[in-house]
Amino acid sequence: MQMTVDLNRVGAKGAIAEAAEGKWGMSIDRDLCTGCQACVAACAMENNISFVGEEDAGYGRTQHWIRIERFWEGAYPNVKIAGGYQPMMCQQCGHAPCEPVCPVFATPHSDAEQLNLQVYNRCIGTRYCANNCPYQARSFNWRDYHTMPERGNMVNGKLVFPLHNQFNPDVTVRRRGVMEKCTFCIQRIHKAQDKAKSEGREVMDGEFAPACAQACPADAITFGRIDHKDSLVSQRSNEGRGVKHLEDLNTLPRVTYLKEG
Amino acid sequence: MSEKITRRNFLKLTTAGAATAAIMTGCGPASRYVTREPYVKMPEYTYNGLSTYYATTCRECAAGCGIIVRTMQGRAIKVEGNPQNPINLGKTCARGQATLHGLYNPDRVENPVRQGRSAPQLSTAQVSWDEAIQTVSDALSKTNASEVAFLMGTAPDHLFDLVSDLTDAIGAPAPLRFSALSMFEARATLSKAAEDLLGQAGLPFFDISNADVVVSFGANFLETWLSPVAYTRGYAKMRRSRPRTRGYMVHFETQMSQTAAKADEWIPLLPGTEGLVALALGKLVAQLRGISAPRAFASVNVQQVVETSGVSMEQLTRVAELIAESHAPIAIPGGQALGQSNGLAAAEAILALNALVDNFGQPGGVSLSPLAPNAGAYHRPANAQEMSDLIAKMKSGKIKVLFIHGVNPLFELPQSFGFAEALHATPTVISFATFPDETALTSDYIFPDHHGLESWGYQRSQTGVMQSVLSGSQPVVAPNYNTRATADVFIEAARLAGGKLAQALPFADEVEFIQSKIENLIARTDGSFIAPEINAFSAYFQQHGGWWASSAESDSLSAANALGKSLNVSSAAASIGENEFFFLPFVSPTLGEAGANKPWLQELPDPTTTVMWNTWVAMNPETARELGIENDDVVRIVSEVGSVEASVYKYPAIHPNAVAMPFGQGHTAYGRFAAGRGANPTDVLAPSFNEAGDLAFAGMKVRIEKTGKQQPLSRLESRIGVYGEGMYEEK
Repeated sequence: MQMTVDLNRVGAKGAIAEAAEGKWGMSIDRDLCTGCQACVAACAMENNISFVGEEDAGYGRTQHWIRIERFWEGAYPNVKIAGGYQPMMCQQCGHAPCEPVCPVFATPHSDAEQLNLQVYNRCIGTRYCANNCPYQARSFNWRDYHTMPERGNMVNGKLVFPLHNQFNPDVTVRRRGVMEKCTFCIQRIHKAQDKAKSEGREVMDGEFAPACAQACPADAITFGRIDHKDSLVSQRSNEGRGVKHLEDLNTLPRVTYLKEG
Repeated sequence: MSEKITRRNFLKLTTAGAATAAIMTGCGPASRYVTREPYVKMPEYTYNGLSTYYATTCRECAAGCGIIVRTMQGRAIKVEGNPQNPINLGKTCARGQATLHGLYNPDRVENPVRQGRSAPQLSTAQVSWDEAIQTVSDALSKTNASEVAFLMGTAPDHLFDLVSDLTDAIGAPAPLRFSALSMFEARATLSKAAEDLLGQAGLPFFDISNADVVVSFGANFLETWLSPVAYTRGYAKMRRSRPRTRGYMVHFETQMSQTAAKADEWIPLLPGTEGLVALALGKLVAQLRGISAPRAFASVNVQQVVETSGVSMEQLTRVAELIAESHAPIAIPGGQALGQSNGLAAAEAILALNALVDNFGQPGGVSLSPLAPNAGAYHRPANAQEMSDLIAKMKSGKIKVLFIHGVNPLFELPQSFGFAEALHATPTVISFATFPDETALTSDYIFPDHHGLESWGYQRSQTGVMQSVLSGSQPVVAPNYNTRATADVFIEAARLAGGKLAQALPFADEVEFIQSKIENLIARTDGSFIAPEINAFSAYFQQHGGWWASSAESDSLSAANALGKSLNVSSAAASIGENEFFFLPFVSPTLGEAGANKPWLQELPDPTTTVMWNTWVAMNPETARELGIENDDVVRIVSEVGSVEASVYKYPAIHPNAVAMPFGQGHTAYGRFAAGRGANPTDVLAPSFNEAGDLAFAGMKVRIEKTGKQQPLSRLESRIGVYGEGMYEEK
């Protein structure tokens, strides 16, 4: 019997990737995306992401876990946004370049969910992972943004932050010196799994969605099991318009972009 | 009693009891809320870690999208779309998501205050609600009815109805409603054109979803236009919901907006020539389809249109061919095409183009939006002319008391209208603002209303779906501060005043008033639910987030009327001289009209420029090169009535003779996240109107002066490689 090794499934650490197709995945239809930023706002509200203010934003320190990219092509009057707006977030790579460089294993790979995790209380802020991410999907907490005094009010000699009432208790509030990134709304995945388990069934396709997909007015974002061939996200990803970004780096991204037209 | 009650029956009985109790609760305003508790103290009705969801209505614009708010121990955590509401079908826009940053904004008016016009500071002279109600009551009863004016925003509708009942009863002028969105969308022009051509005033509904060619004349329907979530869904369906048909979209606009960027073809033209282009297209389409050009299009000279508009003959012919060969073409008039001196004629020309292709009342065509279930007629917001008339009355001392709710005219109206002086000339100004905005701080009193998520109410759908929709609001959290519903204040004040006033509002509280306005829906069986009596009906109304007709309406509109009218569109595009530009203000797609105080909306990058937290001037790079202007150079835009300063963004997709600027920033108050940030393009707008009374804002002539200053804009995009710029270039 002859052993064959599929080099596409060999990871940076030399390990064989257990399932190249992964588990959870997303498809984003660039023909439908209108660049409206609803996903960006929804993500921020769901995941307790802090805003950083004008100056830090100018230094590129914004904490957007998802951002809308647009690239100009041509010159006036034949100028256009090449390929349409493009939402970009952590691609939850099967072979993630961010993972092996972390000295403290703060960004491990989940065996159960096939996602890139970020363990906030392990992170020591070396920022190697962000440096190594070809999608620039990671953002760093340069300050304790949530508790900056200018965001609170003095009430009876005590600083109170009305904005903190909005925090989602399912998601950690990150402090200074910690890296963060899109989690595919893992708190929603877990909630749906718990619910299904208590009802003695599997999680159904379309039963839940991450905040971005849930908000998207154009329904450009589809989320689900890419290892299930009949799930909506698998069907959309395989309908022929699908492209994965920087695939030649062998990162095995779990997000498929559908081309315009 | 020997009868045995089984456990099952016992549970059944108690559940029924609980349900009745839930329906029957509500004896006064306070008992209608779930109070906020600290997380350490768990109220009995909540399970640790489980959320409670409330259906209500988004109040960030007047579209009336249904939302479901996730709450936890009385805190609002997340806004999600209401999947049942026909307007948005479970979706939201960015502004709807960020409404929580309004609710928990650190800058809210927390108590009723005697403001004493002490702008820019919020007064600390707190008054009690009893005094506040007495003040309102006195203002209503001791002033001559004709000298009282009510100025309101476009949301919420229930308060508008209540105030309308009040003004009817005392014989005061009807309340005026205004918003910058309606000004920039030129809604009065659109409804006037509908009246002229369709025979009935109202907002037309454009069924993009079933169209196969969409020709948009500056209609920013993916941004803020009329009902953006509904229209975005229409766009998505137009593109990808039909097998083998992908709708094609052409967009005529002077600068490439977020919506224009999604078009297959963006065709820049000079502002003010949209109507002419529509007429030329009509003539060409008639020729291509082999029909004699109807009267509406007969007089236009296509060659002349090519010369004035800057659209080439080839482009016109190609678009005409697209329309002529299409089964379901549609043309949409946007704010920038209508906010012109020839705006009404342009709107009629664009609607006539729809009449020519015979799409009135058809799938993929134009219909008249159905009225909301409890609306008698379409109430359009005040146009700029009516606002100007009100200001004139105020200045001449004919208004003694002005009540303001839900609108910030000092910011939203152009400075040249003189609203500041008009406020000065009005003896008593009472504001009900939730946030310390410019107008509230220049008032005598602020009696703060609850935030939209703390409020009861309803909002009628204006357009966006062909179903008749009434979206309902209920408080999702208890009021955070010492605020009171403005409806309750008026009801109390009217009771205190007695007489005609008390008779006009004979209600215990706001909820009873709302019930009186939805009562007539109980009899209807064609809606989303039925209920036997008002208490059950209200409970369902809250649970579902409103009431809507279960099927879409269709109307039969005649195209004959539209085509028989002779249309004459004069060109509004004046010639411009040396260093003169057409000025194009547009509503910021992320901030909208009132988003500047929500920090996460500030941090959302503009979709086309990626600028955050500030205002920019979009200028063609070629023009900038000729003028010797670089990115981030601050320029002064000077018009005949004023000037405004902002940094230049070299924008590759704008006509070289035009500059564009977003509306939404430039606050002098409105909280820490908004104040002192950016610039307000309305500062340079002159008070000139079109035939429908809307502001002719688009394409005013301005000059550009260099200031020698630089102010870097924070952008999401990298500058590296953008026009050869390097980030750390040595000078």
